[in-house]
Amino acid sequence: MRKTKEDTELDDFGRFSEPALLILVSLAEGPKHGYSMTEDIEIVAGVRLGPGTLYGAIARLESRGLIEPLKSEDRRNPYRLTGVGERALRARLDSMMTVVRAGQRRLASA
Amino acid sequence: MKWLLRLYPAEWRKRYGEEFAAVLASQRASLGMAFDVFSGAIDAHLHPQIYNSQSKQNEGDTMTNEMLQRCTVGGPKPSKRDKDVASMFMIGSALVMTVAYLVLTKIYRTRPAVEAFGYASFPVISLIYTQTAYLRKRPIFTQILVAAAGVTAMYLFFFGVCVIASKL
Repeated sequence: MRKTKEDTELDDFGRFSEPALLILVSLAEGPKHGYSMTEDIEIVAGVRLGPGTLYGAIARLESRGLIEPLKSEDRRNPYRLTGVGERALRARLDSMMTVVRAGQRRLASA
Repeated sequence: MKWLLRLYPAEWRKRYGEEFAAVLASQRASLGMAFDVFSGAIDAHLHPQIYNSQSKQNEGDTMTNEMLQRCTVGGPKPSKRDKDVASMFMIGSALVMTVAYLVLTKIYRTRPAVEAFGYASFPVISLIYTQTAYLRKRPIFTQILVAAAGVTAMYLFFFGVCVIASKL
């Protein structure tokens, strides 16, 4: 399976790859601040990200231009998905879906 | 648990400190969370380019520069003048040590103590450069202590090696 540029955006995030993906999934619903993201991710994936992991992933996503902060009066800065972030998320979910389908097909025929 | 924020670099705290503190306050304190924050702080120190846009401009720097910057994290940033002064000290000390080595070799020939002086020259010169550039704004006592300890340790190491080599 050939990887596109968008598909490899999260590849070198190391241990932050999975948290970064979960953050992108959370922000796909709309802008959220850190606390809302941890709550949402816990509901969606059953994982509660610690503050160190959460902000390690947020800093990486922001530096790559996959998410961006919104101006806020509150000290809790909300973030939103950028166009690049949306494409990277779509590409990653598509490739995961391909693997999921292949796995299910093989299990069904086993 | 807000004190854990102090583990992070100042630039990082400036950028994410407030919102990070808000998330930290919303979570129940536990050993797992403290470990998560601690490992996040280590990551922030190891990868300043991620949150520091200034560092992004240095991505094209040489590996040596990057290593030097890492070695001086938390220390004073040397100015161009500091580096020029350090270079002059380095060249001067290299000349003095070369002359001293030639004189000592002429008088004492190849005794271990003289050989060790020759081998220790390069690391000592590097130490002089580093010290002049990076410890310039530190108290004179610190500078003398670091120089004396560094030079002594290097010389003793090479002296030991030369003594062993002469007995083989």
